[in-house]
Amino acid sequence: MTRGPVDRFIDAIEMTAAVFLAVVTAITFVSVILRYIFAWQIPDSYDFGSLLLGILIFWGIAGASYRGEHITVDLLWSVAPPALKRAMDVFADLLTLACLGAFTWMMAVKVLSTLNDNVQTFDLRLPVWIFYFVAWIGLAAAILLLAVRTVRLLLRPDRAVRHANPQPLE
Amino acid sequence: MSPDGVAVIGFVALFALMLLRVPVGIAMGFVGLVGFGYLAGPGPAMNLLAQSPIRTATSGEFAVIPMFLLMGALASTSGMSRELFRAANSFLGHFKGGLGIATIAACGGFAAICGSSVATAATFSSVAYPEMRRYGYPQSFATGVVAAGGTLGIMIPPSTVLAVYGLITEQDIGKLFVAGIIPGLVAVTMYIITINIIGAARPAFLPAGPRSSWSERAAALRDIWAVTLLFLFIIGGLYGGLFTATEAAGAGAGGAFIIALLRGRLTRAGFWQSCVETVRTTAAVFTILIGALLFGYFLTITQTPQKVTSFLTGLGLGRYGVLILIMVMYLVLGCIMDAMAMIILTIPIIFPVIKALGFDPIWFGVIIVMTVELGLIHPPVGMNVFVIKSVVKDVKISTIFYGVLPFVITDILRLAILIALPVLATFLPSHM
Amino acid sequence: QDKPIELRLSHWVPPSHPLQKAMEDWGASIEKASGGSIKYKVFPAQQLGKAFDHYDMARDGIADVTYINPGYQPGRFPVIGAGELPFLIADAKGGSQALDAWYRKYAAAEMKDVKFCLGFVHDPGAIHSRTKKVMVPGDIKGMKIRPAHATIAAFVTQLGGTNVQAGAPEVRDVLEKGVADAVTFPWGSVPLFGIDKVVKYHMDVPLYVTTFAWVMNKSRYDSMSVAQKKVIDEHCTNEWALKVAAPWADFEAAGRGKIKAEAGHEVYGVSAEQLAEWRKAAEPLHKNWADGVRKVRLDPDAVFKELQESLTKYKAAY
Ligand code: NA
Ligand code: NA
Repeated sequence: MTRGPVDRFIDAIEMTAAVFLAVVTAITFVSVILRYIFAWQIPDSYDFGSLLLGILIFWGIAGASYRGEHITVDLLWSVAPPALKRAMDVFADLLTLACLGAFTWMMAVKVLSTLNDNVQTFDLRLPVWIFYFVAWIGLAAAILLLAVRTVRLLLRPDRAVRHANPQPLE
Repeated sequence: MSPDGVAVIGFVALFALMLLRVPVGIAMGFVGLVGFGYLAGPGPAMNLLAQSPIRTATSGEFAVIPMFLLMGALASTSGMSRELFRAANSFLGHFKGGLGIATIAACGGFAAICGSSVATAATFSSVAYPEMRRYGYPQSFATGVVAAGGTLGIMIPPSTVLAVYGLITEQDIGKLFVAGIIPGLVAVTMYIITINIIGAARPAFLPAGPRSSWSERAAALRDIWAVTLLFLFIIGGLYGGLFTATEAAGAGAGGAFIIALLRGRLTRAGFWQSCVETVRTTAAVFTILIGALLFGYFLTITQTPQKVTSFLTGLGLGRYGVLILIMVMYLVLGCIMDAMAMIILTIPIIFPVIKALGFDPIWFGVIIVMTVELGLIHPPVGMNVFVIKSVVKDVKISTIFYGVLPFVITDILRLAILIALPVLATFLPSHM
Repeated sequence: QDKPIELRLSHWVPPSHPLQKAMEDWGASIEKASGGSIKYKVFPAQQLGKAFDHYDMARDGIADVTYINPGYQPGRFPVIGAGELPFLIADAKGGSQALDAWYRKYAAAEMKDVKFCLGFVHDPGAIHSRTKKVMVPGDIKGMKIRPAHATIAAFVTQLGGTNVQAGAPEVRDVLEKGVADAVTFPWGSVPLFGIDKVVKYHMDVPLYVTTFAWVMNKSRYDSMSVAQKKVIDEHCTNEWALKVAAPWADFEAAGRGKIKAEAGHEVYGVSAEQLAEWRKAAEPLHKNWADGVRKVRLDPDAVFKELQESLTKYKAAY
């Protein structure tokens, strides 16, 4: 299958999330080392770690939504005839889209209220809203990608991303 | 309508949506918010959406999940699973069914650095399965062994399922991990005995491989220092009180990275691929966690956990009667649901019951992992079985389920042993 | 006949905490005074949301009345932050009344999204150390400390120490593992969370208090009948601030004696010169606070003077 602009976009999103993951891990790893060898702690390492975790999760959700990699119960779906399968897929995608839409909207409200309420990190007193905003971008991307997926599913089922394999979780 | 009625409708709607293949996390979040909105007003429900998910996603202690996942991915990418299998095979391969025994042993070793059972199963379907086929093992047995060996991934620490259980119930993750060590070894032993029994019962069924020389064995042993070091580093650090669980995960992932790098086993592409895979799994887990918390707030205002507790404890079945009832419920749920989703959905409701009955929460963590493990390999939905099917294309699902059946029986037996002898789980953590 | 209402009261400490009982008593008194038209249900232990979010939960109606720690969110509630300044408040009961009486008029602006009900403080907390006896500000240099709130965190940073963040239940763990060397905690909470098993040295000086408030969802209050509003108003008073704070204060204060009685603990005071050194070291915090208050266009000197007068009035100044 040729890789279109949407695929390149999703690759970029996932790669960025991967970088955030590497940074979170590095911060934790280095903190342990510094603590044992130099008895020193990185200021705000806890806040940084958790805020970056939030970003990588929301960006990761964009990828999972586009690929249909969310955990599902496939009992009925796997025995359904193709037409019903497709109907179920469209229904699930539309409900997911609606939920993510409401979530993205309320998260935007949260970003703004965090800005207005002057919420800061503990040590360095950095504004928290910036981190929330970056996380929000992931959600906005998720909506965009899910919309693309749903439209493809409706109009061009042959090109829709299907991920029938279960995604390893535990 | 009474809150009880709303809660019942909520559960019915949740299962209906899940059966329509709405993602589990989305279904939980949606039903949770609608239910909360019905009882507390739509404004508060929408605002819950502004507060709860970002708080869940930015909980520092939850970072333990992606970092343990990353450690497993790095260990797999850098070939540690292959080395373990080679070492186990050089010592055990010449016995009857020896490759199967070696697969179980290597799965156990790999589980000591990988927190995911599906990842363990996937890894060994490509590492051990082809070898077993090459030596003429039946397909059902070979896939069954890998599926069962895979479940060790969440039993032997580190374990993402135990970590999530600890996070939800506010139990010490370090203690939970240490509690899993002896039951994990019991599992390995019992699986090996099972293979011996199969070999004895059906003499022509399982072949034996060639015997390795001592120099081959020594060479294979030398290769597994990295795995040994990593395991001792993490579990020793947790047991000895050197790290918190989050730090252990970070140190483990960092350690796996450095070891792989020093041994020249990690390409740039391999590293980033491991990170991307981890991000994907993390996103899937957190979607469920976020949804489950929203659903949980709905249950909280309907007081469902309290009511379930008083209902179950009031049945007059006794402590163990209720426990068995709960485990049967998990087995039924395991017919349709993923293990992690099951834990996240049910523990907030079940845990208060367990506490009210006076069971040890650490022990119950081990019990619940063993129960959901069974769900990974019993039909009709068994995540490990599906993963093996996705790697080994020419096998029928029913063949795998047939092959794993003896191990399902062993698992049930092991569960009974752990219930009869809780000390197997509680002994080590009580010495921390 | 008033429309019957059920209030969701939410807090984030365990149900065994004295606050649970205080909240139940408060709710029961309201139920009685309203002739049963206002019922209540207490949701403890973060069941309805995380500790950090409790102000927003009341604002957004997720709960109707919540227990908040304004210090969790540095920068958001500048005025009430005065209560957190070190070596200021010596006693929880008088301190609660003083804080409540003083803060009421500022709450209208600073906590404008909610109806402020009452404010209080806990029994003064001290520094409890695992590794060394802290006598003077200079001793903090190089130490890893789990601070009580943002003001103490800033104090630690300023004195050359580093902050370790951990929720109360995790404090023992981080001390045991050497992630932290010391913790600032009220006395009763030390044995409650098993921290007495891992620390040795306790500086018996009222280092700090933490400020708390109960706040209520505005539209819920507005939707009530006149009679119901009156009942709520009669339960959001300075007297109730004392009633809410007192059992907890007694519980914490009892912890000091408990620790003194345990073997292997050193509870010590500091000399007048050393105390002067501490007070001097804390001056920049006062300046930080004043800067924050200036940003909301208030005169920090006047605001602070009022607090001091209130503390003197209720005999709670240190
Ligand atoms: Na494991
Ligand atoms: Na199953």
